[in-house]
Amino acid sequence: MTAAAVAKHSTARDSTPALVGFGSLVAFFLVMELLIQTGLVNRFIVPPPSEIIGSFQRLILEEDIFHRFLVTLGECLTAGVMLTVFGVTGGVLMHRYKLLQQACETWVAAMASAPLVLMYPLFLVIFGRNVWTIIMMGFIAALPPVILKTIEGISSTRKVLINVGRSFNLTPAQQFWKILFPASLPTIFVGLRLGLIFALINIVGTEFLINFGGLGQLINDLAERYDLAGTYAAICFVILVSVLFFMTLEKAERWLIPVG
Amino acid sequence: MAPAATPSSGTAILVADNITVRFETPEGAILAVDDVSFGVRPGEFLSVIGPSGCGKSTLFNVIGGLLSTHQGVVSVAGETITGPHKSIGMVFQEESTFPWRTVTDNVAFPLELIGMPKAKRVERARHFIGMVGLDGFENRFPGELSGGMRQRVSLARTLASEPKILLMDEPFAALDEQTRLLLGDKVLQIQQQLKQTTLLITHNITEAVQMSDRILVMTYRPGKVKRIVDIDLPRPRTSEIVSSESFGRYVAQIWSDLREEASRGMRADEKHALNEGAAS
Amino acid sequence: MADTGRLKQVAVPALGVSPVTLLRIAIILGVLAVWEFLAHSGWLYRDVVPSLLAIGRDLLELLTSGNYYFNLGVTAGEVGTALLIGGSSGIAVGILLGANRFMSKAFESYLYYLGPTPKIIFFPIMIMYFGIGPESKVALGTLSCFFPVALSVAAGMRQIDKVLIRVGKSFRAGTWQMVVKIYLPAMRHPIINGIRLGLGVALIGTLLAETKLSNKGIGFLIINAYSTFDMPRMYAMLIVLFVLAIGANALVGRFGGLHSIKRN
Repeated sequence: MTAAAVAKHSTARDSTPALVGFGSLVAFFLVMELLIQTGLVNRFIVPPPSEIIGSFQRLILEEDIFHRFLVTLGECLTAGVMLTVFGVTGGVLMHRYKLLQQACETWVAAMASAPLVLMYPLFLVIFGRNVWTIIMMGFIAALPPVILKTIEGISSTRKVLINVGRSFNLTPAQQFWKILFPASLPTIFVGLRLGLIFALINIVGTEFLINFGGLGQLINDLAERYDLAGTYAAICFVILVSVLFFMTLEKAERWLIPVG
Repeated sequence: MAPAATPSSGTAILVADNITVRFETPEGAILAVDDVSFGVRPGEFLSVIGPSGCGKSTLFNVIGGLLSTHQGVVSVAGETITGPHKSIGMVFQEESTFPWRTVTDNVAFPLELIGMPKAKRVERARHFIGMVGLDGFENRFPGELSGGMRQRVSLARTLASEPKILLMDEPFAALDEQTRLLLGDKVLQIQQQLKQTTLLITHNITEAVQMSDRILVMTYRPGKVKRIVDIDLPRPRTSEIVSSESFGRYVAQIWSDLREEASRGMRADEKHALNEGAAS
Repeated sequence: MADTGRLKQVAVPALGVSPVTLLRIAIILGVLAVWEFLAHSGWLYRDVVPSLLAIGRDLLELLTSGNYYFNLGVTAGEVGTALLIGGSSGIAVGILLGANRFMSKAFESYLYYLGPTPKIIFFPIMIMYFGIGPESKVALGTLSCFFPVALSVAAGMRQIDKVLIRVGKSFRAGTWQMVVKIYLPAMRHPIINGIRLGLGVALIGTLLAETKLSNKGIGFLIINAYSTFDMPRMYAMLIVLFVLAIGANALVGRFGGLHSIKRN
């Protein structure tokens, strides 16, 4: 077999699974459509896929879904800025003051495993039914991983790099900005990516639960109006947005850190 | 079992007949092993030596029955193998103890598979643990042992299945030199005690000469039999034999065979690296 | 994540109390003092920061009330069922994806990208399918828990040291023996870790669903305390809930950790 033939053969093999995966997805929707159209599945419980696709137009024109998307995105970015400022600073401070880290790191780790989003009724009382409840919920629920990853990043800086810094007689500030911080950036980015995803999940969830804000509220709204196809379409839209958000963050991370 | 290991006596128990293995790679087919034939006699210690890339490990997998895309026949006592054979026990190059089992449970593993009652298999396992010199470590986990000790656990585990033929693929490759010498002594002692038929795959000349009755030297890709050397050194042997004059002669003889192959391999690697560099 | 911070403890001084412990006590006392000060300052809305005494009283009341334990039982049952269904289907799908390269290439990226999406928004659909009772909460918990378990098991299966599989084959282990004696024990860490992640999200999914629409369970009690503006009670319930959740997480982690030290 020539090299070209082998190459061709292997690329053909590479795309088959992807096609099968996508094909089964399409087939699933077609079967659902068929089952619903023939009445085997109740269309008042599961609307046919064609109807869901059709209702996107309504969501765009009547529900102004893009505006809602921007509202949710704005909340996420605000929470993201707060996470970057407070989370990374918190991690750096805890690393700087070892005693503080020893005292509190397990607490932060414990918080990471607590269902913090259940505090939303509390936040509702403290901040009122407004955008700050949503932003704070996203921020608080995503804070522990950002702090933990920052500490992990800084403390896993390779010893030899620290010694290099020492050998050049760097001041503690120089040591931090020229050695520790750049060396730990990849891990800090991982923490921020996790944090932003948690923030998005909790922000959309809180919007849905307190019936306020952007995309989450839209789903609640449509469900309360028994607009079934619209609800499904809005859910699809949110899933699409979070998948794209996730993909963008992964891309950004790879772009910012060329050599992991 | 055959009496003392007199290499010329007896007919072969393990026979490899015209073994050829090809691999398909994106850059085309590679002939890894080319028409290799040899036999191992009962009680004999045979080593297969060659530079890296000579298809030694491929040969190991073929004889062990883990690779079946070869041409040619491997037979044990006249019976052609079609998969892992019950008469062949394998010791792998990589760390292969089960981290979730104690030393005893690791060694008892093959006995557990054949359904031996617990009390009996623990007793058998103890016996082989003692044989590799790990008494007192029965209830430790591999994570608590050194690399050399873990490799002894693997050896004991394979011995516990009481194979007619012990097949080892560079079992000491991942160890440091001192551990390697001491462990070599241990293997030699066990092999002589059990009169264990052994096939060792290695790239280490001293190791091969120290232990073997015969050494099969392989060529660099494709792997062919270059020469078979009889090692006529007195038994029982220990690592002290390495300082004898005849030992040095054998080592020099095999090195002169291998040197040519190894440097061919090195040139091929360099050429490959250059091509890779030019391509990227 | 809980064991990222295993640090050398600072040397214990003669007193027998380490500086770390002292700092911890100081932080806790400081927070409590500020809290109590705010509670009595009158700067904030009434009861947003209730006095510690009120919270303590409600905590005691909560822990001695049979009604609370009934609702705790309801939620625990829902989370447990969700973990059972979502966890076992996650393990099954994970093994399928981990064992089969084709299946993994065809479907795993869908799971990978669907994993980190908000699940609570599926609640209206779950109500349509399963009604407003515990079933819809179980369904949401199951949906949440499936993804991390499946992804973790699939990755764990691919990470099994290949030589261990060769060892099993060389001793002629049968298919069932391979699964029970090699694959499953070799994957115990990713499985435990997946269940740990799954437990966390199943808990969140179930409780959030309860706060949205239900008439029993811990989530219902919390949202009920909110609607009657009973803040001390809400704090008390959140405290108990967090302690339970952190404890359950640590327990699963400890169970997984013990596995590698004690025999299987």
